[in-house]
Amino acid sequence: MFKNEEMEINLGPQHPSTHGVLRVKLRLDGETITHCRPMIGYLHRGVEKICENQTFFQGQVWTDRMDYCSAVANNLGWAEANEKLFGITVPRRAQYIRTMLNEFNRLASHLIWLATHALDIGAMTVFLYAFREREDILDMNEAFCGSRLTTTAFRIGGLREDLPPGFEKLVKKFLAKFPDCIAEYENLLNENRIWKKRTIGVAKLSAEDAIALGVTGPVLRAAGVPYDIRKAFPYAAYAEMNFDVPTRTEADTYARYLVRMDEMRQSARIIQQCMDGMPEGPVMAKLPKILKAEVNEVYHATEAPKGEIGYYMVGEKGSGNPYRFHVRAPGFINLQALPKMAEGSLIADIVAAIGTLDIVLGEIDR
Amino acid sequence: MNKILRTLIPFDIVKGLSITGKHFAKVFFSANRRKVPFHITSEYPEVPAKVQPRYRGRLTLLKDEQGEIKCVCCLACEKICPTQVITIEKGKKEGRKMPFPVRYDFEMERCIFCEFCVESCGFDSIILNHQFELAAYNREDFSIGMEGLGQNMYEPSPVGKFSVADD
Ligand code: SF4
Ligand code: SF4
Repeated sequence: MFKNEEMEINLGPQHPSTHGVLRVKLRLDGETITHCRPMIGYLHRGVEKICENQTFFQGQVWTDRMDYCSAVANNLGWAEANEKLFGITVPRRAQYIRTMLNEFNRLASHLIWLATHALDIGAMTVFLYAFREREDILDMNEAFCGSRLTTTAFRIGGLREDLPPGFEKLVKKFLAKFPDCIAEYENLLNENRIWKKRTIGVAKLSAEDAIALGVTGPVLRAAGVPYDIRKAFPYAAYAEMNFDVPTRTEADTYARYLVRMDEMRQSARIIQQCMDGMPEGPVMAKLPKILKAEVNEVYHATEAPKGEIGYYMVGEKGSGNPYRFHVRAPGFINLQALPKMAEGSLIADIVAAIGTLDIVLGEIDR
Repeated sequence: MNKILRTLIPFDIVKGLSITGKHFAKVFFSANRRKVPFHITSEYPEVPAKVQPRYRGRLTLLKDEQGEIKCVCCLACEKICPTQVITIEKGKKEGRKMPFPVRYDFEMERCIFCEFCVESCGFDSIILNHQFELAAYNREDFSIGMEGLGQNMYEPSPVGKFSVADD
């Protein structure tokens, strides 16, 4: 019930800092948020139902369009879930290329997060620099699969094509300059007093709350839980890679920023290892002409840049379509933590809380 | 003492500004912007954008050396298209053994440029060309068929025809 002094306002759905069409219902007592509820569904397209009406092969194009900032990571989860369902082994070279592209995608996604999050809080410069590096990654996407954002990068059983000629040069060039770029962002933000005032201690989410709410990804790791599916349940070629899982214990917005910056460094490390140890060989497994599933169900989780993305698929005997297709989208689950983070804080901090969750509404609404 | 000094003198802001200044100077003092590698933005409409060889653009029907359409109406592309934007009608043509598409309609507005059609075609009779300037003023301009007024399935879309600069 409303108290006399309380006021209800809507943040969004067209507010630029809500990263899409998120509407947040806020009840305010002065400047303090007493009640906060995210309202979703403005971008609902029924991706799961569409995928049930299409063949296994066609499903990939819809996963591109869920989290459009990390399309390759979505493709990877989808491809591996299908391979699990049909019992296909992917050639090693394909695994390495997948791992490398997935890490590039993590960089692109974290860069766009850094850019927009900093822009929301008021640091315009980082936005421009982060987009500059992201552009190189998108160019590599284009060189590999012909599209920049909606990649449709993989196929069930491997890849459509091998790496294009000259790809290694692009990767080398990128890796040579990327450490300097991270140093640049950190120089701009790490000690910046405005950035620190607006992030330290803001939107706290303790480890217990995060686990209870099912939050995954950098938000969980910033609370001190070193849970990363790449390490816990290795997939693709991650078992052969040497990398750390950065964690922090402060569990606030600043800690999440630091975790993501460290993750970018680790991603660059993994890419370097993929390049060095790239095996030769085919990139596509031998497949039957038409993929027909048995009665079988799989759940396959991978570590997308935003958290655990899981694909649940049920096959039907003799049918080329999945009987049930469900996506556990990290953004959807992470958004549940928003009331916990924002209630009791000031209204200006909700922008930081939304930004730090790194949500993409295309994935939440599906 | 150190803390007071740091609060009084905005080192952090100086640090940030020096990075911005460095990049500004890099570009500003290089005389001809097109020759130096420092600039990031491209002057797009004047300087045509380059795309990679694998770029996925508009669907195009190919012809062989005799100028015949290569498509033999196996309907594989129609079946695999996730958005069902291709409609083919089988027909016969005099002096040709293979079936001939009397109708090959392509609704570009719903195409998602996934290249599944090209991948499924066993006769190499379609490609996605390198065109990305596909905007048009009318909805009809997106329905591309064998014979079109504005555009058809063999030729690239008339670039610039629909653009404001041409008016
Ligand atoms: S590119 Fe994809 S959506 Fe477009 S016509 Fe081909 S299969 Fe259909
Ligand atoms: S798959 Fe190729 S040959 Fe078959 S109908 Fe399509 S374009 Fe024609």
